[in-house]
Amino acid sequence: MTAIQTDGLTKRFDDVVAVDDLDLTIEEGEVFGFLGPNGAGKSTTINLLLDFIRPSEGSVEVLGRDAQTNPEAIRERVGVLPEGYGFDDPLTGREYLSWAIRTKRADDDPDELLELVGLADAADRLAGDYSKGMQQRLAFAIALVDDPDLLILDEPSTGLDPNGIQQLRDIVRERAAGGTTVFFSSHILSEVEAVSDRVGVMNEGELVAVDSIEGLRESAGGHATLHLDCAGPPTGLEVESLSGVAGTSIEDHTLVVDCTDPAAKVDVVTHVAARATVTDIRSETVSLETLFNDLTGGGRDEARAVEEVPQ
Amino acid sequence: MTLRDVTRKDFTAARRSRGLWAVATALGVLTTFIAFGFSGYRLGPEETVIQLFRTMGGVFGLLLPIVALVASYMAIAGERESGGVKFLLGLPNSRRDVFLGKLVSRLAVVTAGIAFMFATATAMAVARNGALPLGVVAGMFVVSWLYAAVFVAVAVSLSAAVAERSRAIAAAVGSYFGLVLLYVIPGVSVALLVRFVHQTLLGFEPNLDLYNAVLYTSPLIAYRKAMNLVVPDQFERQVLQRASESDTLPAYLGDEVSLLVFAVWLAVPLALGYWRFEGADL
Repeated sequence: MTAIQTDGLTKRFDDVVAVDDLDLTIEEGEVFGFLGPNGAGKSTTINLLLDFIRPSEGSVEVLGRDAQTNPEAIRERVGVLPEGYGFDDPLTGREYLSWAIRTKRADDDPDELLELVGLADAADRLAGDYSKGMQQRLAFAIALVDDPDLLILDEPSTGLDPNGIQQLRDIVRERAAGGTTVFFSSHILSEVEAVSDRVGVMNEGELVAVDSIEGLRESAGGHATLHLDCAGPPTGLEVESLSGVAGTSIEDHTLVVDCTDPAAKVDVVTHVAARATVTDIRSETVSLETLFNDLTGGGRDEARAVEEVPQ
Repeated sequence: MTLRDVTRKDFTAARRSRGLWAVATALGVLTTFIAFGFSGYRLGPEETVIQLFRTMGGVFGLLLPIVALVASYMAIAGERESGGVKFLLGLPNSRRDVFLGKLVSRLAVVTAGIAFMFATATAMAVARNGALPLGVVAGMFVVSWLYAAVFVAVAVSLSAAVAERSRAIAAAVGSYFGLVLLYVIPGVSVALLVRFVHQTLLGFEPNLDLYNAVLYTSPLIAYRKAMNLVVPDQFERQVLQRASESDTLPAYLGDEVSLLVFAVWLAVPLALGYWRFEGADL
């Protein structure tokens, strides 16, 4: 049984193609991380799944139903944490949650859910006065109402502190273990890596990779970068001639070696140590990150944001 | 069907709006003062109260559209701008539930406001004159409510068709000009414009019935005509111009047609607004 299926899904805004011919299948019970830099088309895809916006071409099916034909029936079984939401009505956190519970004809206890997301002490305050992180927790609690079959979470960790992110992960894992399908988007690799069974990478409206984390690691190969600090400028060492070395560069007294094969690292160190005085060695295996950057355009600004945005 | 949940949440939020309470209080004070200061010339107590409500109708003609527009213009546009609509539609609500729920809730708010104004005016009028022409007061309430409902429908529909606050404001102000002010400001009125196009530009003979029919498309003119339906004969007003005193208006300019005008202004904007909202990318 498939939880989400899109066929040739395309969405154009004026002359911008936000989502381009997307074919995506999410099986029931899996945790799927939807990865990509800002503006890659992740939220547009999610908005299409929820019938907030309509496709220019192609089709969307959620839990076996066409997203446009009967969106309410889908919403009965889906929990949504949208992006760009707002709590602008003068209602308290508990009232918002109670409203969601009533609308879903569910029998959850609002206080239990508030406790779960760490908002028990703020239940009677106006949701509009909450901090961004607290609003995110409340929105997450609303998504959890009625133990949905499918959780759709758009950038769920936005605004959360590290503790909140940990709680979110724990709850997602727990719900996934109970059989819930989770589809969540993120621009942070480590976050997706931590909980996903499978990952899809979006870039400029196109799905550029879909695989398990292990699969992605393998396709990234054993790429590793070696930094060797030397006593003097490490010139003329002819490290490039070693097998498994893709390239080298020199920064002051530091030799940076890009290895395509992890086994080459030892050879590099032995080779350099025999010809120069090595004072320190650092090795980085940024394989997934490197792959992610390659997939999403490498050195472009939005891709760099992936590494730099503190979350 | 979760229309009730949408309505209930929206109405709860409205009830907590301080601005709304302030407006309601101001309106109540206003009608109380009108009722207090009003005295009929050579009229008995009952006639005085009827005349008072007739006069109040003149004020309501300009005031109720503002009340209705202000209470409703952000109904859906506000949710779209703030992102509240993402929760409304993330839960098992259809767009129809959201549209109708908002309409019902804003109608309820406006109904409460009008009821409050009528209650304060009636209380003061009874205290001052010792008479209560219940039929007239109830009739005036019904036609005033219908008139305000037209503007709630127009405002909710416009609100459903736009995505931002600024546009919702422009639409609300524009509809007040287009449906109310253009029919009453001397010099720039629709009546003069139609007359000018028909006679000067197109060179036709003057046709008073035609001009009247055009005027009658305004909810304001319809409201003035509808008041004739609920007051005793001697309090009826002419509203539309006649060629001479003896001349009778054709049936399509009769007072009853006002209800049809209301019905059209309720149905058409709602249909268009819903159609736009249903097809919109939110």
